[in-house]
Amino acid sequence: MVSKKVTVVNAMGFHMRPAMSFAGAMAKYPCDVTICVNGIKTDGKSLMNIIAACIKCGMEIEISCNGEREEEALNEAVTMIANGFGE
Amino acid sequence: MYHGIGASKGYGIGRVTIYRDADLRYTPRSDCDAQTEKMRLNDALKLFFERNERLSERVRETAGESAAEIILGHMMMMKDPYMCSEIEKRIDAGQCAEAAVEAVCDLFIAMFSAVDDEMTKQRATDVRDIKSEMLALLLGVHTVDLSDLPKDTVLVAKELTPSMTACIDRKNVVGFITEVGSKTSHAAILARAMEIPAVLSVENATEKFKNNQLVIVDGIHGEILTDPEKGTVAAYVRLRMDFEKERAALEKFMGLETLTKDGEKVQLFANIGTPEDASQVIAYDGEGVGLFRTEFLFMDRSTMPDENEQFEAYKKALLIMKNKTVIIRTLDIGGDKEIPYLGLKKEENPFLGFRAVRYCLKNSEMYKTQLRALLRASAYGDLQIMIPLVTGVDEVRQVKTLIREIQAELDEKVIAYNKDLKIGVMIETPSAAILADVLAKEADFFSIGTNDLTGYTMAVDRGNADVAYLYSAFSPAVLRMIRHIISEGKKAGIPVGMCGEAAADPLLIPLLISFGLDEYSVNPTSLLATRREISRWSKQEADKIAESVMALETEKQIVSELSRYIHL
Repeated sequence: MVSKKVTVVNAMGFHMRPAMSFAGAMAKYPCDVTICVNGIKTDGKSLMNIIAACIKCGMEIEISCNGEREEEALNEAVTMIANGFGE
Repeated sequence: MYHGIGASKGYGIGRVTIYRDADLRYTPRSDCDAQTEKMRLNDALKLFFERNERLSERVRETAGESAAEIILGHMMMMKDPYMCSEIEKRIDAGQCAEAAVEAVCDLFIAMFSAVDDEMTKQRATDVRDIKSEMLALLLGVHTVDLSDLPKDTVLVAKELTPSMTACIDRKNVVGFITEVGSKTSHAAILARAMEIPAVLSVENATEKFKNNQLVIVDGIHGEILTDPEKGTVAAYVRLRMDFEKERAALEKFMGLETLTKDGEKVQLFANIGTPEDASQVIAYDGEGVGLFRTEFLFMDRSTMPDENEQFEAYKKALLIMKNKTVIIRTLDIGGDKEIPYLGLKKEENPFLGFRAVRYCLKNSEMYKTQLRALLRASAYGDLQIMIPLVTGVDEVRQVKTLIREIQAELDEKVIAYNKDLKIGVMIETPSAAILADVLAKEADFFSIGTNDLTGYTMAVDRGNADVAYLYSAFSPAVLRMIRHIISEGKKAGIPVGMCGEAAADPLLIPLLISFGLDEYSVNPTSLLATRREISRWSKQEADKIAESVMALETEKQIVSELSRYIHL
């Protein structure tokens, strides 16, 4: 398993559009993707769970990937968040 | 007349069609054959995706990408692996497909509604929308065909869901009225994208109005007129024509620089009261924030906001504005703005009393908390600090001393901040105006606050009807002060802005161009109109007007002379 902490930088946080693109991007990978927010784990491939996690700008979250192509998945996840989903 | 929230501007005149939800009642069963139910579910899902695929394409054409994303979001929610597995689990346990879909949707609706966050709460609306659509498909219930409405329809519904909005033929619908919804709900966003006037949150709307009733939807004031007389209709037809002409004319100024007729560039900023307002500045193409009032953070609560809460709010505005300038005014309480927990005494003359920077310098620990939050936030964009109600250079020096103390603390703790932070002075007292040359030595910029400057210069309380006639930024004394402030700022080489209502006044703009104002800060909704006004005048024309106007002796003469030029 690989994991990395990253801070959410886009002003609106994981609102609908970023949550969609995140879950969509992660669905490509066979490995499990978990987002840990304030100690609570959320399935990073589930749009519904990401929305329920209510991830806001400025929060530090930890992404963990476990399984096939985990490095690749983590890399893409962290890049997306650090770039503020291009917003 | 009925009232609601005006969520999409414009005037719609037409006849009511009431949209009632389809009857989605069914008898839940828990002894079903899982195989059969899964097949029913898959058939419904197939239809759901086909329908939404078509809808999203259509919406993209009619209402744009962001509206289409709402539909794509629905599709993605329905593809969600967790959501699907939960539905299947329930079907495996014997539930019918309807009950399984409903139970899982309700779970998410409850989950999203429970979160204390407006944006997450709104997702509950999406899930409700999906639920009804899936149930209708499973039950084979046909919903009203919104794509085939008669011409000039005003659609009245409990709630305007994205899937409904998506079906609507823009050419035939002239207005929306709903029972629920706010300025930021999907319905509002979609209505604005389609430029259809909308009044939301009208209680019992589906009961109040009758099918085919003639109504006028006033999306600007949030009002609905029922059964209007001929004369009223004619008046609103004219209003609608003017509104549409104006909208089209202003849209041409989106994405342009703010230039005078002879091509001189000035900055066009906006005034905001909360970090969220910054999105509006972006939507109306503002080039920065010229005044961010921080009082909202302190009002309507029982204790002082701490440093972190303030920091988050300032940072949020900066991030929304990307790297554009954001001028934040430090706390301006007192006068007419009361904050109970600060324990301010009642005063005989609150406007001449213990307020704004006077209060802050006496309560320096509280002030330092705000300044520290501002400094920390300055690492996230082009934040500039503005000091309100300055009367002399001592106040500016004292604030700068506090800022230097905080900088030293932050350096020690290796906390990031912008080392070239600009600190400006709001010029809103006659004393500051007259001493502009002195203040310019300490200030990085000036911003003229015309509201208070007018009040203090004319010694008038504009709330007092007996003397309010004296309150005018066109008083020769106020105009001379404005000219003096700008000219002293220019001599010292610092930029001068204006953040009062006057900066958007078409009558004043030629004078401001002539005086050489560098930055105009107006309400977000006035941005494009101000850009247009500025583009009307060349420096030479403005100088000619200023020369004749500044020689006049009374406010009346000045206003009538300016009106003459404006209406040439």
